[in-house]
Amino acid sequence: MGRNAEPQPSRIVAISPDDGSAIDLRNPALAAALSWAVPGLGQLYQGRTTKGGLFMAAILTTFVLGLWLGGGKVVYASWKPGDTRWAFVCQAGAGLVALPAVVQSAQLLGPARQPLLLNGFMAPPLAPGQYVSRAYADRLSRNDADFRPDDFFDKPPLKQFRRDQLALWHRRLGKFFEIGTLYTMLAGMLNLLVIYDAWAGPLGPSEDEKKRRAAEAAKATSAAAAEPAS
Amino acid sequence: MVATTLLILTAAFPCLGQAAILASLAGRVPGIFFGLPLVALASLIFAATHHEDPAQIRLAAVHWTVWLGGMLGMVLAVVLLLGWLQ
Repeated sequence: MGRNAEPQPSRIVAISPDDGSAIDLRNPALAAALSWAVPGLGQLYQGRTTKGGLFMAAILTTFVLGLWLGGGKVVYASWKPGDTRWAFVCQAGAGLVALPAVVQSAQLLGPARQPLLLNGFMAPPLAPGQYVSRAYADRLSRNDADFRPDDFFDKPPLKQFRRDQLALWHRRLGKFFEIGTLYTMLAGMLNLLVIYDAWAGPLGPSEDEKKRRAAEAAKATSAAAAEPAS
Repeated sequence: MVATTLLILTAAFPCLGQAAILASLAGRVPGIFFGLPLVALASLIFAATHHEDPAQIRLAAVHWTVWLGGMLGMVLAVVLLLGWLQ
């Protein structure tokens, strides 16, 4: 059997709404997963480099900008009563960049009673009465301007926090806590569109745009018909 | 009077009207400029997920920025007007 006779694997393609060309989606499920993990990576995998680069730059920049505006405190996962962080559901849409929050939360609430990264990056705020490891309490007392050494009760082998860290963050950051939260949430939610684009290709023009294009085409046709034949 | 003028201006010249609305709101709504990059970002991502050609993405992004900015500006103007009337 010659090489030309080999069966070609079926390819999943989408049609470009702009020029009607075929877009090879390769493995759409893998592309969607990659686009969740790193915004735009799925499009890069499909060879759509311009869009992939655009998505990656826009979404990651917005996420990092939001994190910076919020003093590095606005992305955290917490399901404690009184501090259920629903914003994280949206922030998690940005992919692996939000993953440290899950690890930090699990570690802080787990038997270790301290986050994996002791500087507290993406760790949830300590609630009043929460127990933490002595190492974490000492680190916070030494390095964090919000804390004083007497903020912790000594409860060997742990320490118990006596204030409300979320209130401290709000007092220090003011409106920037909400602005940073909004930026990071929007980055995560917009990445859902990017994931869909990797899964199924471009959505196509909106109804308004279709009507506008149809009107322009009709106008061009009537103008051409009105011209005298040369 | 100012609000009516702004609404007429926006209806007649969307871009100019939006700029005028933003200028008038800047002093009244603290932090309004933090919202502008988000409007641009949402428009850009929305446009890029609806098109494949970079030129079409640019056109659609401008279209959506004007539309989204205009809608949000109008809502904000109405809310401020209601607050002012109280």
